[in-house]
Order: sequence, then structure tokens, then C-alpha cells
Amino acid sequence: MAESVSDAALVERFPWVQIDHDNKHLFRGWLDRRLLIQRCQDCGRFQHPPKPICPACWSSRIEPTPVSGRGVVHLAMFLRQGAPAPGVDYEKGPHPVVTVELEEQPGLRFTSTVVDAPLADIRIGLPVELAWIDRYGAPFPAFRPRAGER
Amino acid sequence: MAAASARSGAARYPIRDQIAIVGLGSTEFSRDAGGRSPASLACEASIAAIHDAGLSKADIDGVVGVLEPGAPRANQMAALLELPNVTHHGGPMPVAMFGLIDAMTAIFSGQCDTVLLYYAFTRLPWNSRSAAQDPFRRYVMMGGGTAKPPMPESMDPSAAYTAWASRYIHEFGAKREDFGRIALNMRANALRNPKAVMRTPLSMEQYLAARMIRDPLCMLDMDVPVDGADAFILTTTERAKRMTKNPVVVHAATAGMVGRNDEDQLPSLARHGQHVVVESLRARGELWLDDVDVFFPYDGFSIITLGWIENMGYCKPGGAGRFMQEHWDEKSGRVLIDGRVPMNPHGGSLSEGASRGTGHLREAVTQLRGEAGARQVENARTALIGCGGFFFNSQGAILRRI
Repeated sequence: MAESVSDAALVERFPWVQIDHDNKHLFRGWLDRRLLIQRCQDCGRFQHPPKPICPACWSSRIEPTPVSGRGVVHLAMFLRQGAPAPGVDYEKGPHPVVTVELEEQPGLRFTSTVVDAPLADIRIGLPVELAWIDRYGAPFPAFRPRAGER
Repeated sequence: MAAASARSGAARYPIRDQIAIVGLGSTEFSRDAGGRSPASLACEASIAAIHDAGLSKADIDGVVGVLEPGAPRANQMAALLELPNVTHHGGPMPVAMFGLIDAMTAIFSGQCDTVLLYYAFTRLPWNSRSAAQDPFRRYVMMGGGTAKPPMPESMDPSAAYTAWASRYIHEFGAKREDFGRIALNMRANALRNPKAVMRTPLSMEQYLAARMIRDPLCMLDMDVPVDGADAFILTTTERAKRMTKNPVVVHAATAGMVGRNDEDQLPSLARHGQHVVVESLRARGELWLDDVDVFFPYDGFSIITLGWIENMGYCKPGGAGRFMQEHWDEKSGRVLIDGRVPMNPHGGSLSEGASRGTGHLREAVTQLRGEAGARQVENARTALIGCGGFFFNSQGAILRRI
């Protein structure tokens, strides 16, 4: 389990991310292919991106908590050019970027890409689930359409 | 148009009309200033603004330099100009009104009497192919520091506007033509502005055929990176009346944001920074849409402009496209609200150049001074600026001639 991965090793696994003490749990989770979203242990609210406190009730008792990874596409765009990444070739076609509203809480959103779907299927309202892909040799949480719910 | 004169709940606002803009200075805006540093451009604009105000070094006791990438910091500017007696200096973050508000509050509180407020822009390697070829620009980063290279799935502010544009289309069934009219309006206005970098006429056909960058937004929905600088001199209105015959005062200025302003966590298109700005302007000012002679909705991305038109109350949410159609002046190929009020007569960030709102502020002052030449709005007395976007950076101001 990734809990045994040292902070220094974690930074080395994700050289392309600015990891700090507030978001390190998120990326440790990725190494285990688990999407961990912070949840306040006092008021119960989920929050993303990671923060040192719960912005709703200001509690410091926030716990990285596994979420289902299921949700619905809330925002969707298709990059014809953009930052480089392995497996992303803008010459071959637009790269989809979506913000997914997770089913755990209204307004709780996670942004990534969509795999295993024709571009025409990727639209606001599409039900999706997590699909772990590889990026620079580390797991990376993407989404794919939920089977039978297209 | 919405009934639009009454104030909606007054706020304590003693600074209303108390600060004036008495000097303007600006460089050429260009796609390539050719071997000039941002500091060089900032100096040119600042010296021009100080001269325009009829002042000299010793009169400037406040320096506010907005933290644009590559721009000189306020302490560096004081050294560049050898300003001998500076009692306030600061470096607010972009966009334009943060600098204006810092300068205003410094003067009003008595930290200083007269502020040089300047902004310098330089094309960056990530937003300009030619800038990427310039070795001197290699280390100029947005935000500075040791930023990691971005990933495609980034929701930094520039990408997030496209994402929210997708939501706008989803919720309101907006058409590409609705976005296109923003671009056409700005271009038609830029044709009359010698400073504008984009001065070839633009048709809807050309807009629709333009290269997609981040679908649903194309190249013409995004502002044009430029090299250039703008500078302003601010002082008390009382002093301004003795200095110049045409002082322009800041009636009200405000920032506005909601708590959930992480780009992809924004509550919705119905509740973000622009809404807070409008509520604040209406509570702090006594002038509103019926008083406005010239309207400056920010247009770093076309979706932001659609938002400002709607959220200022010119029309209902989702109605900006239809509003522009209804107020379209066929003869000049642009919006004239009620046949009278133009929208960004200088061409905005889309066509004058990406000055993150300083062009809007400069043109507002120029119009209210009556010095806009071929672009002049007859007897312009009040200007409304909606600056910045939806997230941390929404701002607004009402300027007026006294």
C-alpha cells in the first residue's frame, strides 16, 4: 500500500505535480488506484481540490475518503492544442477534458479526461465511472462512460 | 432593458467620487515590440502618464505595479524613475481593477497623495509561438515561481472559461453565432482604434471558420497576446479639480468573488464573481445602466463578455446573444445598446490586445475626457466597466466625468 511510500518517493513518482502536505493523500491514493477525496469528520462535507481545513465549518478533522468515482459530466471541452503529455497527440484528434460531478455530493467535481469513448459520445450529462490509465509510469484517474448508460 | 436606476441596498462607501484619474500614458500595442523589455514599455507609459498629468518626479509618492509576468515590481519602477519620496508601494495581482482599487484606497486613506499605477504586458512562451523563440522570455512564467509544466487536464483559469462555455451552451442552447457577435463587435470597434493590433474587418463566416483551440471556443474567442504598457496617475478629486479641466472620477470600484472559486468547483453560471461585483457596484454607486454612456465588458474570452452583459442586467441569463442581435447596428457592424451605447469602443482585449482590462480602463477615461477622436461617444459622462472573469478575478468600476 502507498502509505509506506515516503514523501520523497511520492514526489519522485509524480514529477509533474506540485505535491504538498495538503494533497499528498490524493496522490498516495492514485498509487493504489483509489480516488480519495477529503471529507470533513465534523460536518461530513466532501471537498476538492484538497485543502488544510474544511472551508464549510473550519474543522481540521478532514479525512481522505474513498469515493465511488461515479458521476456525470458537468463541463466538457476538447483541446485541439495544449500541454504535452504521454498518450496525448493533438495531431491525431482533440483531447477531451471533462469536469465530472461526483455522485457523493452535489457540486463536488473532479477534472480529468475520458477514455474508451468516441468523441461524439462525450457530452454534458454523460454518466461516467473511473478508468485508471497510466501517465509517466504512475496511475492516473480518468473516466469512461458507464456501461449501458450511454 | 431592466429597470436600472435605483440602488439596491446602500453600503458605507465614503470613497465614492473622491479619487480622480488625471494622467494617462500608453505605449503602442503590438504582436512584437521587438527587443524591448517589459520594463522599457512600463517606463515609456509611466513617463507619458506623469507628463500627461503635468507632474514631475517629486509629485509621485505612491507606486502601484500590477504583478503581470515579467513586469517590473513597484520598487523597481521607483528606481527606474528615481522617484525621491515614495510612501506607498504595492503589487496587486492581475486583473486591472485590483491595481485601481489599491491606488484609490492608498490615496483616500492618506498613505500617499498621488499614485503612478502601471501595467506592462509581454507575450509569453506558452501563449505566443514567436515569444517561444525569444530566449529572453524563456523564464517569464505566469504567476512566477517554480510552476510545474501544466497537464492537459488543467483547469487553470484560461482553460476553465472554455469549460464553462460548454456549460453555457448546454444550459441555454447558445449558438456559435452568439459568441461570434462578441468577436465581430470588438473587431468593428478596433477598426477605429489606431492602437489596436487586429484591424482587418471580420465577418461571421470568418469567425465560424476560425481554428478551434479548445472546442467550443476558437481562436477568435480568445484575446490576442501583445507587448505593451498602460499607466495612470491618480490623486484626490479635490486636487484633480485644480490640476485639470477634465478630471475623471471613480464613482465606485469593486472586486467580487464567491467562496468556492476553484475554477471547476464554481457553484454555477448563476452564482460567481460577476454577481458579487454587480451587487457591490449597485450598493456602492448611485449610477446604473440607464446612466451609462459607454459599456466595457471584459473580453479576455468571449464567454466572459456574454456573462457581463447578462449579469449587469442588460438582459436575462442566456439572453446575451439575442440582446446583441436586437441592439446590433448594421451600419457599423457592432452593438449599440438602444442605438447609443457602444460596447468596448477601443476593440477590447479580443482586438486591441490582451491587456487584462487596462485597455478598458484607458478607453473609459479617454471617452469621458472627450478625447477619443473618431471613436468618441457623444457627450459621454458615465462609463461602466465589468472587468475580469468568473473566479478570483471579477471586478467592476463606474467612472464619470465631473
